[in-house]
Amino acid sequence: MIITGRSLPRRAFLRGMGTAVALPFLDAMVPATAAAARGVKPPVRMAFVYVPNGIIMEGWNPDYEGALGALPRVLKPMEPFRQDILQLGNLTHNAGRALLDGAGDHGRCCASYLTGVHPRKSVTDIKAGISFDQIVAGQVGKQTRFPSLELGMEDARQAGDCDSGYSCAYTNNLAWKSETQPLPPILDPRALFERLFGNGRALTPEARARQNLYRRSILDFVTDDTRKLEGSLGPADRRKLDEYLASIREIERQIEKAERDNSQIEPHMEKPYGIPADFAEHFRLMSDMMTVAFQADLTRVITFLVTHEGTSRPYREIDIPDGHHPLTHHKGQADLIEKVTQINAYHVRQFAAWIGRLKAIPEGDGSLLDNCMIVYGAGLSDGNRHLHEDLPTLIAGRAGNSIKTGRRIVYRRETPMCNLFLAMMDRMGVRVEQFGDSTGRLDGLDLA
Amino acid sequence: MQFPFAKPPIGIIFDCAMGRKIDDALALAMLHGFEARKEARLAAVAISVPDVKAAQFCDSVNVFYSGANAAFTGGSRRGMPVGLADGPPPATTSPMLTVPLVYHTEIRSAIDTAEVAVVIRNALTAQYDQNAAVVLSGPATDLAKALKLRDTRELIARKVKLLCVAAGQYPEGAPEPNIQADIAAARKVFAEWPTPVVAVGYDIGMALLFPAASIDRDFAWNANHPIAAAYRAYQPMPYDAPSWAMAAMLYAVRPKENYFNLSPPGTIQVSDDGRTSFAPSESGKHRYLVIGPDQHERIIRTYTQLSSAKPVERKPKRPAA
Repeated sequence: MIITGRSLPRRAFLRGMGTAVALPFLDAMVPATAAAARGVKPPVRMAFVYVPNGIIMEGWNPDYEGALGALPRVLKPMEPFRQDILQLGNLTHNAGRALLDGAGDHGRCCASYLTGVHPRKSVTDIKAGISFDQIVAGQVGKQTRFPSLELGMEDARQAGDCDSGYSCAYTNNLAWKSETQPLPPILDPRALFERLFGNGRALTPEARARQNLYRRSILDFVTDDTRKLEGSLGPADRRKLDEYLASIREIERQIEKAERDNSQIEPHMEKPYGIPADFAEHFRLMSDMMTVAFQADLTRVITFLVTHEGTSRPYREIDIPDGHHPLTHHKGQADLIEKVTQINAYHVRQFAAWIGRLKAIPEGDGSLLDNCMIVYGAGLSDGNRHLHEDLPTLIAGRAGNSIKTGRRIVYRRETPMCNLFLAMMDRMGVRVEQFGDSTGRLDGLDLA
Repeated sequence: MQFPFAKPPIGIIFDCAMGRKIDDALALAMLHGFEARKEARLAAVAISVPDVKAAQFCDSVNVFYSGANAAFTGGSRRGMPVGLADGPPPATTSPMLTVPLVYHTEIRSAIDTAEVAVVIRNALTAQYDQNAAVVLSGPATDLAKALKLRDTRELIARKVKLLCVAAGQYPEGAPEPNIQADIAAARKVFAEWPTPVVAVGYDIGMALLFPAASIDRDFAWNANHPIAAAYRAYQPMPYDAPSWAMAAMLYAVRPKENYFNLSPPGTIQVSDDGRTSFAPSESGKHRYLVIGPDQHERIIRTYTQLSSAKPVERKPKRPAA
């Protein structure tokens, strides 16, 4: 790294053997010139966190509109962040409906979620559409190391029939690079870590072995650069840098712990080496890396498929040994509804913890969260009846002060979800006039 | 993708000005009568008057015909979305819409309704090719809006077999209120609608009067029949009601059963003051209905039978929560 007398470049890295650690947004990156007086705003970042199989809507929708007050059960974990979220009602994905294609709502709802396209019913000849996150990535992605990151937490195949004649490519991917090319999510925290902090080349087996042998942190490889940089920073930036590097170290420790734990568990476990067996731990690791990716402006676009659509994953962590998907077809049985509600709330709890961490990181005049718009949602509302209307949709963050949060807005029925995507693309600086079945930009998000 | 199964009955999109004429309520009842006989399906209702009470009425009627439970939508507590025009509510509400609703509606405000153009488009996406018809009774505003949505014109051409328009006077005549209400929209629809169009002129509806006696006789099987209640509230009884929308509905579902005669093909044009005129031409895709004196009785009998038919309860696909 070369440090000049002028402001620190936004794209600065700490480099070392096989390592490139991007820096968070530091005060030293703001030029001390007239331009600075006009304000250098941190970039807006966008993420989608997708949960499968719908949500128990009685626990999701408050029975009021306007300012958010007490939140219903599933959303309860978001209460500390009421002022940072916007809950939207009645958004619909018509493209996810059967439209004469019969069964397969799980396949369709996931494939259409970000593409706005009714996918072709096929196991082998897949066709959906470019997802809007990839349109954004194509335009703003040139400014970051990674145009986008596609992440997930559940190992899933990409071929075969996963839902009534719909390919697994539909149920197991959110982002689509083109109408025939889904982007499979990274599941393994170690793989993600090396992607974020590697220098673009995979570690050689020797280097990996050496690193493992001495249990060295990637931070050890960038010590020289770190020292040089610290010497040129003010106290506030030094503290920010210390905290940032400490968070990376903590991620490393957690990954190492997962790898150690996994080496001791039964060999027939399905999870690949390095993926924590515990759901919350895995979520925490992935979300910590999403935080770092946003903090260091490694990417501005992330999609996160928490578990895949139609999953039958059990939740033993919260004493629910039943499969998620079968439970959602509860046929009105109270005990099953209760279990699904608990799973829904458990997911939101993990999300809320991440939002809390984003909010705790200062950036510019506010927090990192203030410069994000993170959508938490699902492609089905009622999983029992496979409804594609009133999709659970929550936005966390103010997208650089361009979204008024702390509210619930209910739109008219059948309002296209794609209208939200147009509004989000605007906030990412990408002007698109039509996407999917959009009829216009979703109104009412602004501060005014 | 079209499944290789037998096509279901034709899907009807009913775009009306519910509340303006009792005829619209009777036509909706008739559509449910066709549905009970598996001759047609209600694909969507769009309302061109921005009156929430009209939407509540339609929703409540749909609930009634679903067997007074949620079976209509396969168990959903929210019924099929009703399209409602944007705009300030009318200064006065039609008497037929002031009748207390016996059958529950989830519609409390315009939020619980949908944009008309979106309802029409979304309903069409769920129809088999050439297996839908649109029945317009009222201003053409909603259909003109639908035509403006991207790709919807092509969608209409693919899915819709016929548009039946209960508006205007043919081959020519005085300005007609449904046309006058939105002349620009009427012109757009007659000029741009991509399928054959059959118009029901003013004189047809006036010649086919729905008999008041049928309300007391044929609808008596249910003391809380919402159509009978609306009919009685609309005007002091007894009165016979003109049937423009019913004629359009009947032709849309049973075009080949010789209830009506058809004019030769031609083109309908709309003048600045809301008059319609028909110019015959071989290549024209417009026609209008014509009736002879011997056709009245059969049509009226069909009206009363279908509009007073009892609903057939269907099992929901999935039990409600």
